[in-house]
Amino acid sequence: MSEQQPYILVVDDDPDILDGILMILESQPYRLGFARDGKQCMESVAKEVPNLLILDLLMPRMDGWGVIREMRSDPRYSQVPIMVLTTVIEDASRRRYELETGMAMEVQDYLQKPAKPLDLLKRVEKLLTKVHV
Amino acid sequence: MSDVTIQPLTIFAERLRRAEVFSDLGDADLVAIAEFCREENHREDDVILVEDEPAHTLYIVERGKLALEKKIQLGRHSTPRNATIGYVGPGKIAGFSTLAWPQTYSTSVICVEPSRLIAIDGLALRAYLDAHPRAGLLVMNHLATLISDRYRQSINTLTYFLSIVSHELRSPLAAIENYLQTLDGGYAGDLTEKQKRMIQRSILRVADLRILIGDVVDLARMRPEQIQSDFEWFDPGEVSAESLEDTRLSAAEKEIHIKIELPARFEPIVGARRRMRQVITNLINNAMKFAPTGSQVVFGMRYDPEALVIEVIDEGPGIPIDDLPHIFTDFFRASNVADTVGLGLGLSIAKKIVDAHEGDILVKNLTDENHNVTGTAFTVIIPRDLKTPEMRRREWA
Repeated sequence: MSEQQPYILVVDDDPDILDGILMILESQPYRLGFARDGKQCMESVAKEVPNLLILDLLMPRMDGWGVIREMRSDPRYSQVPIMVLTTVIEDASRRRYELETGMAMEVQDYLQKPAKPLDLLKRVEKLLTKVHV
Repeated sequence: MSDVTIQPLTIFAERLRRAEVFSDLGDADLVAIAEFCREENHREDDVILVEDEPAHTLYIVERGKLALEKKIQLGRHSTPRNATIGYVGPGKIAGFSTLAWPQTYSTSVICVEPSRLIAIDGLALRAYLDAHPRAGLLVMNHLATLISDRYRQSINTLTYFLSIVSHELRSPLAAIENYLQTLDGGYAGDLTEKQKRMIQRSILRVADLRILIGDVVDLARMRPEQIQSDFEWFDPGEVSAESLEDTRLSAAEKEIHIKIELPARFEPIVGARRRMRQVITNLINNAMKFAPTGSQVVFGMRYDPEALVIEVIDEGPGIPIDDLPHIFTDFFRASNVADTVGLGLGLSIAKKIVDAHEGDILVKNLTDENHNVTGTAFTVIIPRDLKTPEMRRREWA
């Protein structure tokens, strides 16, 4: 795989969800990484900044809201597009983030699990293209 | 275990005054009530009161913390569990059932920290309040506030409990659905026609189950006062756009064209924003479920002087006359839609939301000049004079 290919980091504590999502993304010329919780995700981001972060919310150690907070407050990562992929309803999740941080939850896409493969691929492509432009 | 200490009367009277429930009483009342008080000191995990047992003591917490616990049993055969429904700290009371019929404790009370309590003999207190109606009224006023707070607290606990249950049930289903979708898309290798058909059926059935779990949990939370507590000003235009986005994929899959008829300019209205999105999404999904492939669904919105009117019209087979009165009932499915997937909660949820908005949801079959049914029209009417909780509070004040 070439360094030129977009690097996507998928974060989910459910190994089966992770496995399924990676299998779908493998059909495209992406480089893929994964993490099983927020802490692992931040360690991984520190090693290589992804072109896109696909992020679950309810996870042990550090949850997805914590990851969003850290990413958005660090100038090195604040521009990384984040796609939330979760079972949590969008309104409730945004409200929780706003209550905790006093700021609007800045993510570029929000998908309810389970995502349909074609829809997921389309949205991933759209986010990656936006960044390249 | 408890240590009991007898203290001079006036000191007890002063200490009683610090309890919210007695804070409005005069000196004479406090001194009189102090006569049937004693101090108790408890260790962590001491059980102070037991649910359903006869209530004869009212406790005031001076120091420490008590947990209010209720037995919960899911089904007849499962093990009963204790759920903590709230905590009581300094200045607050436990055991108010002492003063109310049928005088059995409504929760168990457990010490979660070493605690110093004032125990008041319930029978003597009742007799005193009976004989001194003014003091009785002041105490009862505080009790009414306390009971309504506890009631709200238990609703929050229930809502929280339901959201956990729903997440726990939905997560494994999401994983299964995710794998099935991956298989169906050919991302894990080629499938035979027969395998593909079986997987596609499995996807539908699992999705049904996931939606059912969401709906059942939702239905349990769907009490009018809960919906009304979310009332806020919102832009119906934004909500329409979100609902159309919710239904976009299903429409594309069934090649249904959604014809949109919206006003040129949207006025904000008061309502439960997320719930209104649910009403519109449910109505459009319902229309698409019964509409033939390739047909048209009309989604319209307009302002009448006193109401926002939402309309969803499909070109489906219509609803049999005998079924019309029942279509908003939980789990009801019309008799002519046996082959359509779905569980029949979408419309009853929509009705509950509209009712909480003091609105109307109407349904009629559409016919052509030869009286043949050409589709179904659902109309939702939401009054434009609803008030947010803040507006109601200000009015009341």
